[in-house]
Amino acid sequence: MEDKPLKALDKSSGHRASGKSSQQDIRNLWTTATLSQPKLNVALSDVCEDSEGSSVSSRTRQWRKQTAGHDWDASWEALEDRKDKDSFKQEELDEHSLLELEMRLDSSVGSHVEDDDESRTEKPSSVSSFNIVKHTHHRAYWMEQHNRLPLPLIELMENEALEILTKAFRSYRSGIGRDHFLTKQLQRHIEGLKRRQNKRLHVSAH
Amino acid sequence: MDCFPPCFKIFAIRASLFQHSSSEAEFSLRLQAARAFGLKSARMKLKEGSFLWYLYLDKLYCLLSVRNVKALVDYFHLLDVHRKNTLNDVLFYHFLHHVTTLTRRQINIVFNMLDWSAMGEIGFDQFYMLVCILLARENQLEEQFIFRHSRPVFELLDLDGELKIGADNFHMYNFLFNIKRQELRELYHDFDITGDRLLNYKEFKLFTMFSMDKYQERQKAEKEKEKDKDKDKVLLKKKRSHQVNMSPNTSFWNKWIRK
Repeated sequence: MEDKPLKALDKSSGHRASGKSSQQDIRNLWTTATLSQPKLNVALSDVCEDSEGSSVSSRTRQWRKQTAGHDWDASWEALEDRKDKDSFKQEELDEHSLLELEMRLDSSVGSHVEDDDESRTEKPSSVSSFNIVKHTHHRAYWMEQHNRLPLPLIELMENEALEILTKAFRSYRSGIGRDHFLTKQLQRHIEGLKRRQNKRLHVSAH
Repeated sequence: MDCFPPCFKIFAIRASLFQHSSSEAEFSLRLQAARAFGLKSARMKLKEGSFLWYLYLDKLYCLLSVRNVKALVDYFHLLDVHRKNTLNDVLFYHFLHHVTTLTRRQINIVFNMLDWSAMGEIGFDQFYMLVCILLARENQLEEQFIFRHSRPVFELLDLDGELKIGADNFHMYNFLFNIKRQELRELYHDFDITGDRLLNYKEFKLFTMFSMDKYQERQKAEKEKEKDKDKDKVLLKKKRSHQVNMSPNTSFWNKWIRK
């Protein structure tokens, strides 16, 4: 997940004047990064949508017939097109039906692997099945990831806050003394920030 | 709760030193006095690579986007050491000193301007307003910002709460809002309808609309200049390519024919 924001490095947002190319990277991460996969969300909701009188399983069977020999992404797009044609209503699926869907899709992936070349289906099948699993079982987690700030931005903020608070600590110490409870509170806050930074560095190193 | 002894607080130069007057000479004297106190309109800049430097204002409404506000909230909480959702004057000073090129006096003025409830602390609302002002200044969107947010800006400048602004108020915050001396004179000459050398909100609003029109005309003029420059460049390129295409042999034959 944390790798995904880094992929947005290639995009340029153009919010400021030229001449800041090296530091635009972090800005690009924040302004253009999409932590979750919107395509997946749309696709799965389309899969979840059901017109009146038809079951999800029949729909997925029809979808499998349509996408024989097609790329995985193209098959998701086909589902989206069908949504427009059939005017699906948006409904929430039970976990049971979602699991059923997952199993059927996995089996369809298997059939794809048998029929098509390995190079065409190897990467999409593993990615898509992984995506389905993570979406269905860890929705709350992925919602939280979607709302979180990018890590480079958090690092930048914490580094800057640390520098500011260190200077403030010196002013506190000289103004009201080392033993004042506000000075101690500030000191504890600075130590907490440093510990958080060290943890992150430790985790990224390993 | 203010636990700091009085000597710990940094007090700004009070606007009450300046008294209202009706003569032009005293008007200019006041401006000179403001300058003497070190309130020159040096160009304020955000430090490159700082967190604020990465934020940007929406060009139409001159406000931050929701994402930027979310990041700003987290940043504010990192600085909110005492868990009161506020920054005291010491934290505020070190923050501004770290991320901008403002001097100590200017930072004090900004603090007193934002501390409108006189609590000695700045809450997130005031912090957000300050960030928007700094970004507008950095991106040269002052006219647009003042136009879009004329009421809050007027209330900030109205230090005494008299619902009127004098020239000294404007000049004191020149480093934030970049109103030049000549513009200030024009402002009071053209928009002081009541003639009391003070601007009420309506007069101020007229001024913001006028300066916005001027800003848009300047933008148009700059765009047209750029277009003309591009045209000239294209013409130059064509001429040069035409000259290059003329090979030495052809030029020799041309000369021979003319002979």
